[in-house]
Amino acid sequence: MTYFKSFQPTKFSPLALLDMAYIVILLPLLLMLKIPMLVFVFMVLTILFFKKTPAKNTLIMFVFIMGILALYLSLYGTFSFRGLSRLKLFLELLVYILIIVVSMQRLTRVINIYLLISPMLFLALSLFFYYGMYMLIYVVFEIFFLLWMILAHHMEGDVWEGFRSGMVMFMVSLPWVVVLFIFFPRISFEHASYGFKGENIQRMGHDGTMHLDSKALLVPSNRIVMEVGFDKDIPSSDLLYFRGSMLYIDKIDHWEPLPSYIKRENKMYYPTEGTNVDYKVTLYPTQKQWIYLLDMPSMTVRKSSLDRDLISTLEKPIKEPLHYAASSSLSLRFHDVLDSYTLQMSSAFSKEQNPLTYKEAQKLKTAYLSIEKRAKAIVTFFQDQSLTYSLKPEPLDINHSTDSFLFDTHQGYCVHFASSFVTMARMAGIPSRIVTGYKADLENSMKNYLAVKEKDAHAWAELYINEHWVRFETTATASSIEAQSQIQQLKESESQLSKSINLYLMYAKYQVETWILYYSNIRQLQLLQYAKENPKFIVTFVMSILALILFSFLVIAHFRRPKYSSETLKLLQPLLSALKKEGYLRKKEETLHQYFLRYLNDHPDKTAIKEVDRCYEQILYAGDDSKETKKELKLFIRKSLT
Amino acid sequence: MNYKIAPEFIPVIDAIETHLVGKRETIALSLATFFAGGHLLLEDIPGVGKTTLAKHLSQILGLDFGRIQFTSDMLPSDILGVNYYNQKEGSFIFKKGPVFTSFLLADEINRSMPKTQSALLQAMEEGIINIDTKAYTLSRPFFVMATQNPHEEVGTFPLPSSQLDRFMCSFGIGYPDKASEREILKGLTQDTSSTTAPLFSITEIESYLQKAAKVTLSETLLDFLQDIITFTRESGLFEYGLSTRGALALTAMTKSWAMLQGRSYATADDLQMVTGIVCAHRLHFKEGHTTVLRIQHEIFTQIHSDT
Repeated sequence: MTYFKSFQPTKFSPLALLDMAYIVILLPLLLMLKIPMLVFVFMVLTILFFKKTPAKNTLIMFVFIMGILALYLSLYGTFSFRGLSRLKLFLELLVYILIIVVSMQRLTRVINIYLLISPMLFLALSLFFYYGMYMLIYVVFEIFFLLWMILAHHMEGDVWEGFRSGMVMFMVSLPWVVVLFIFFPRISFEHASYGFKGENIQRMGHDGTMHLDSKALLVPSNRIVMEVGFDKDIPSSDLLYFRGSMLYIDKIDHWEPLPSYIKRENKMYYPTEGTNVDYKVTLYPTQKQWIYLLDMPSMTVRKSSLDRDLISTLEKPIKEPLHYAASSSLSLRFHDVLDSYTLQMSSAFSKEQNPLTYKEAQKLKTAYLSIEKRAKAIVTFFQDQSLTYSLKPEPLDINHSTDSFLFDTHQGYCVHFASSFVTMARMAGIPSRIVTGYKADLENSMKNYLAVKEKDAHAWAELYINEHWVRFETTATASSIEAQSQIQQLKESESQLSKSINLYLMYAKYQVETWILYYSNIRQLQLLQYAKENPKFIVTFVMSILALILFSFLVIAHFRRPKYSSETLKLLQPLLSALKKEGYLRKKEETLHQYFLRYLNDHPDKTAIKEVDRCYEQILYAGDDSKETKKELKLFIRKSLT
Repeated sequence: MNYKIAPEFIPVIDAIETHLVGKRETIALSLATFFAGGHLLLEDIPGVGKTTLAKHLSQILGLDFGRIQFTSDMLPSDILGVNYYNQKEGSFIFKKGPVFTSFLLADEINRSMPKTQSALLQAMEEGIINIDTKAYTLSRPFFVMATQNPHEEVGTFPLPSSQLDRFMCSFGIGYPDKASEREILKGLTQDTSSTTAPLFSITEIESYLQKAAKVTLSETLLDFLQDIITFTRESGLFEYGLSTRGALALTAMTKSWAMLQGRSYATADDLQMVTGIVCAHRLHFKEGHTTVLRIQHEIFTQIHSDT
């Protein structure tokens, strides 16, 4: 139904379409190119911009030599035959060679199969360099764009028609893709783990030690260390302790874990007290081996080992986002029978280092025979010291850190509280140790999603009381919080709105990563389980699929709606489709008048159509654009339909 | 084709039909060509009624009728006229040729030499003839109905396309249908020699000519018309496209055909009706024969109008 030429579409030559495809495909790869190669690409673009005729052999030869030069300079130093075995370098080399070949071919202005295939190759290669969520979105766009360009090429360069058809194809496939995606999750192989993995910027984790000096200044960073999705509701805030490492040895200015060569008797007592929670964690690269589990872990996470201190470690440092499912028994304490070595290490202290504290501890030791009461007394003692929680405390006398903290500066943060508490507890005869990890903040949670940030890093103490290790939140003994920290909190509350938006975005990103990027048969089973428990969910699911289908239909209808050259013709559509249904197909060479006459020949009684024809002729040819005629036309169209 | 001739023209067609049975459409189209201010080229075999049509049309319209039978030895002066020496008066006197008339039948125009043909064709285009530095204006209206026999090749000089372009329309008459032919064979038709009384006065003719020129062409129709013109030039089907004069002829014929149906505006149907006969002698298919029907078919199955 289109006019020949009266609707002038934007037409592009095949070469222009190809160029557009290359621009879109090469854009992410340009970011990874080394400078000599970038200069080469720029040079080729400049030549292409000024030279509109096919290049001569000499120019192509020149470009070839420049390309080889750029390739050599780009890979200078990294390039070696041994290096070729490294996948990424090999791929980089492949990209460079492809760029040179495509540049040379493009200069000839002849489209051949190499030039047509290369965008797909570039697309595939770019997936080796980028695999974040944003790249996933970009890849979807790229695929659509390629489809669009191919269609436009087949439609003689008509970009708009190509877009319409491309959109229709895209929308037709959308519900299928979603349904197939849900029912047939991809299989992930450990050794073929390239692809979309999410962001992998390195996070600051614990380095396995705990410094008491100014090195230990806290960075209140908002970067996310891990994201936790609970299968059910998030536990209350006082239970959100994620264990990281366990420190035993006091090295005056810092604490250290037990040396790794020590083989302890590995007798596990899995905690059973407390309520059990299941959750899934996405841990961002920390470059360390620890994985973080809620106090107290009740099972070993796959591929990790859980030691008798309930500390979970991997064999290798975490260099890519790690996903694991875990289960914990939420509790303050767990049962353990100490071996002699652990008892020795968790009781060691130096009298000389903190004499004042030792004196106080001895007093408590004699005053309270029961270990339980003694521990309580230590807490009370800490509370009486009017300690201040401060993110920027005065520097301690590092050789007598506990004395300095308790009796001199009275200022510190979790590290100082935990360190002093453990020192004093040991002096009072209670085996104790420091746990480092994260204490999550419920402010960074939404529904069953919890984000743990770098600033949530925390340290606390565990005391051995009545054959149980019991957690002590040592920072809670502070009687005041320093104004500075309060100001900071105020500042944060000022931007409450941006904070909640940020949280919402994080939540959305997490959901996408969980249910799209890492969707696997495990998630599928989880979904199935959920559906079994909540029959309502099935209804919701079916409804949303239907809604999606409806949505894609609407979009398709929008893009396939016919274009009418005039309003009047649009008015006529119901009548025309009614006639079509009756079996009267309009012939190619027929004008509407002839079409109506043909119909009237067979149905002379349909006078309304005769009137429609008359009104239409009046409007279209006689220049009658009065409202009355239009009204009349509408009236007769309605009459003819009844 | 669907059309309905306006009542004032029905008697004209009726009157001529008594001599040319079953050819109402041909008669109507000839009439339209006349009112469009163009000239008509009838291309058909001898004996189908070309001359009859011309004769009776001129009579109905009440115009002076002139006729030239073209032969190969004809000279331009045989058409235009000649200056001869009057011995009595001792001066040259111009004797008007047959071209000085309102309705000229140029029979078998392709039999004469190009020199003679072009003498007539100049007159057709400009309405003026020049003889010995003196210009003579032809009468108005001036309508040429030329006939040519396409199948005789011996001793003919085919009109070059530049000259064909001066005719607004070109069509044939064709054989009559069976029923009509039977009537003719029965001798029921009027004697060809009988005359028909004029039905129009010269002022009426003038007013119809003006009316045809004033018919409205809507934007939609102009779009359609331009699509057709562009198609003839760019589709690659034809050796060359429609000239601007051809396009103007198409417009004029569309208007005139609309006027003949008593409308003050033209429709896509009118355009469809006349496109074939306006284009048939102007366009040549690169492959195969060029006929009115084929042109009509090729154009209108490939250009769709939203009308």
